[in-house]
Amino acid sequence: MHAFLVWLESTELNQWIVGSPSLWAFPGILAVHAIGMGFAAGLSAAIDLRVLGIAPEVPMREMRRFLPMLWTGFWLNAVSGVLLLIGYPTKALTNPLFYVKLFLVGLAMVLVRRISRQLTDDHTPAGATTPMSAARLRWLAIASLTCWAAAITAGRLLAYTYTHLTAFD
Amino acid sequence: MHDFQIWLVTSIRLHSPVAKMMHTAWGWPMAESLHFLGLSLLIGSIGAFDLRLLGVAKRVPLSAVHRFIPFGLLGFAINITTGLLFLLTEPDQYIYNRSFHLKLVFLMIGGLNASLFYLTSWKTVFGSVAVYKAPARARIIAGISLTAWISVIICGRMLTFFRPIPCEPHPTQIVLTCSP
Repeated sequence: MHAFLVWLESTELNQWIVGSPSLWAFPGILAVHAIGMGFAAGLSAAIDLRVLGIAPEVPMREMRRFLPMLWTGFWLNAVSGVLLLIGYPTKALTNPLFYVKLFLVGLAMVLVRRISRQLTDDHTPAGATTPMSAARLRWLAIASLTCWAAAITAGRLLAYTYTHLTAFD
Repeated sequence: MHDFQIWLVTSIRLHSPVAKMMHTAWGWPMAESLHFLGLSLLIGSIGAFDLRLLGVAKRVPLSAVHRFIPFGLLGFAINITTGLLFLLTEPDQYIYNRSFHLKLVFLMIGGLNASLFYLTSWKTVFGSVAVYKAPARARIIAGISLTAWISVIICGRMLTFFRPIPCEPHPTQIVLTCSP
């Protein structure tokens, strides 16, 4: 593990991400990560709120139209997240909270998929084989909102809880 | 502007009621977490309505998607509150920060732009007949809204990279972007 971290921190990509004075390097990647979070977590929250009864005039099925933008946010964050990880691999991988955050984001996206399959108005789920009761769907929406809040909090706390910044630290 | 900025930083430092709370172990990290939650709520709700105005989910009346806006305003309120906590704790880090100045400009654009939407399109969008196609002006406003809020996020994220450094003896900028 240590040898891998040492190698990663000697790569050119790592050097550019953390060493470049360009705003497109580390600051730009951080900014993209925040924007992607806004769209992924925010649109997921909007879908959850719809499931919970907000904006009842919006047909459930139509909330699916926001999924491409939600997934765009997710993929922006997958890519920017990997770049941030290449920038500070030791800082993240030696912090247990980082794995908690990854798990929470993963769980949140699984919930996005499960909920989005149930977005229907006539109880024939789009793309799902088993329809779900409205009560169960509402619980999934609450779980989704909780997951995102926890994932965002965990992500923010990464800046305060790391023990090693680099492999030689 | 220099005198005003210096006065602002000094008065906040003298009277700040929240600095003590923010300097506890959990104060700053929790305020930051809430700031990011508020950001997501704002982008998710206002962004969803902007996307609807721009043509996403064409089969849904504009006014129906507008029901998410109160949650965007909730996110905005959370972020004004937590933002003020940061500002009132470390005033010099924001008042002399050029990224913060730019963030305020984009915040004002976002706010004025939203008012413009209600001034120009209220009757069209919230009339007795459901409207599915936003007028061209409302679509332009939606584009400006998305751009402004994304720019606010970018400027916020850039704050730490524009931390003010100590000023040269006689700074000539109109707005101070260094620490006197």
